[in-house]
Amino acid sequence: MADVSLSTDSVVVAFGGLLALDGVSIAFPQGRITGLIGPNGSGKSTLVNAMCGQIRPASGTVRLGDEDITRVRPDLVVKRGVARTYQIPRVPPELTVEEIISVPMNYGASGRQAKVAFRHPRAVAEFCGLGPLTATECRNLSVTEMRRLEIARALACGPSVLLLDEVMAGLSHEDSVSVMGLVRELHEAGITIIIIEHLMRVITTLCHTVFVLNNGRVLAEGEPKVVLAVEAVREAYLGKGFRP
Amino acid sequence: MRTLPAKILLYVVVCAAIAGIAFSDRPFWIQLAIGITITAILALAWDILSRTGQVSLGMAAFFGLGAYTTAILDPITNTYLAWLGVIVVCGLFAAVLGLVTLRLRQMYFAIATLGFTLSLQVVVLVFPDFTGGAGGVAPPLLAGGDPAMQLLAIGGLLIVAMLVSDVLLRRRFRPAFFMIRTKPELAASCGVPVVRTRILAFIISGVFAGLAGACYGGLYGYVTPSDVYTVNWSIMPLAVAVLGGMDTTFGPILGAIILRLLEEVARELIGGVGYQVVYGAVIILFVVALPRGVTGALKALFGLSVRTPLGTRPAATGS
Repeated sequence: MADVSLSTDSVVVAFGGLLALDGVSIAFPQGRITGLIGPNGSGKSTLVNAMCGQIRPASGTVRLGDEDITRVRPDLVVKRGVARTYQIPRVPPELTVEEIISVPMNYGASGRQAKVAFRHPRAVAEFCGLGPLTATECRNLSVTEMRRLEIARALACGPSVLLLDEVMAGLSHEDSVSVMGLVRELHEAGITIIIIEHLMRVITTLCHTVFVLNNGRVLAEGEPKVVLAVEAVREAYLGKGFRP
Repeated sequence: MRTLPAKILLYVVVCAAIAGIAFSDRPFWIQLAIGITITAILALAWDILSRTGQVSLGMAAFFGLGAYTTAILDPITNTYLAWLGVIVVCGLFAAVLGLVTLRLRQMYFAIATLGFTLSLQVVVLVFPDFTGGAGGVAPPLLAGGDPAMQLLAIGGLLIVAMLVSDVLLRRRFRPAFFMIRTKPELAASCGVPVVRTRILAFIISGVFAGLAGACYGGLYGYVTPSDVYTVNWSIMPLAVAVLGGMDTTFGPILGAIILRLLEEVARELIGGVGYQVVYGAVIILFVVALPRGVTGALKALFGLSVRTPLGTRPAATGS
């Protein structure tokens, strides 16, 4: 087993009476692409929020390597090398692509842990296939371009761990293939990648390991092909007795 | 107005206008220019804060605090320390209030700031020994009471406020401020310390509003609570910035000129109390007709397009 990068130990998050995460313990291996799947409402995004310091767990710990980061502020989690994307990116519509990417370059990157170092926002845009759009205002971007911008913005934080929250949702087949190519490049550069995704094609092609969440608990873990064949996983996702 | 020559031109025009009017020997124009300049400083202070997404209805609190600070500190120290005191007191007041209220979002923050103004007015009335109560206080007279010199002094403060505003519109701050306004979680995910940045903006805004208030108090060397702690000084900066064009240095200045001139024209033509109705109606018309403010409309007119037309966008990478 590879070294552990991000890990959670018995993390509990409650919203009122609802247990969004009910004692989740996961260790994400360093330098790998790990999938995080589960039906809607299973707690995937809550787990991402908890790992990035945006939600304080009621109990349990989040670690980066050996360091306890459970109560570290989100902007300081970023400075420690953990960057994330948002499912529905809401960026200021009046800012250009270059201006958006410049924010994490000015504030986020400490540079120490960065696996891919960029010297200028335009280089990040170039790398993520947004080269010709650096001067375009975000209000004029397409869905695909917004997704690429989200990845570029997270990448500009200089991360050693990158959490991708449904970056392929709503993309055409062609576009998702090209975004998958980008993810693979980031992996090859040494960035630990955690992917939340509903598209099983993405999980099976990219991920080395996958964790399945259901009702705030880890239901299964292992190699994607093996895990997806487990009866309990099929049931959680597709309902009892479903046969494709 | 993002290009350097246009910015330098703005500074040159403002300096020339202030100097020109100050040495013109026309008392009416000097008084009007003083009013416009104080309004512009307040509107800039309001705009700087609004760039982080906080709509303040409490500019009057800082405006009054500035005037009262100089009035209370001047007799016990000296004029320089009294002015320095405005920066310290207003800055501290903003920092403390910021820590308490800046976690509130949007409307809740606006209501809380409205509360500062009302409570400061009450504080003044409750401690008359210290604050002069309803009778008012005597801030140090600005520039010996010579209106031309006063205009130059307040004009100097406006230039400083413009410089600060422009620094905050530069690369490092502008995108971060706007990101905090649109989605604070996203800003935090870029490593921006959201609360600290908001407090910084609140302190800068509060200090300039306080200095403007101290200038206002120094015009005649006399203020009462009903001069400074009025809703007018809270609402007007907002109206001016929205009218002139938010998120710019030029907008609040242009808005102050338009609004103050409009007020004078309405007073001259209609007079009495009725002028305020007409004045209010014209403001509403402006805001309805020019939702991006006069600056936005001018930019659109001269092709410095605020919105890139969809057809002219460079082609996306076909990958």
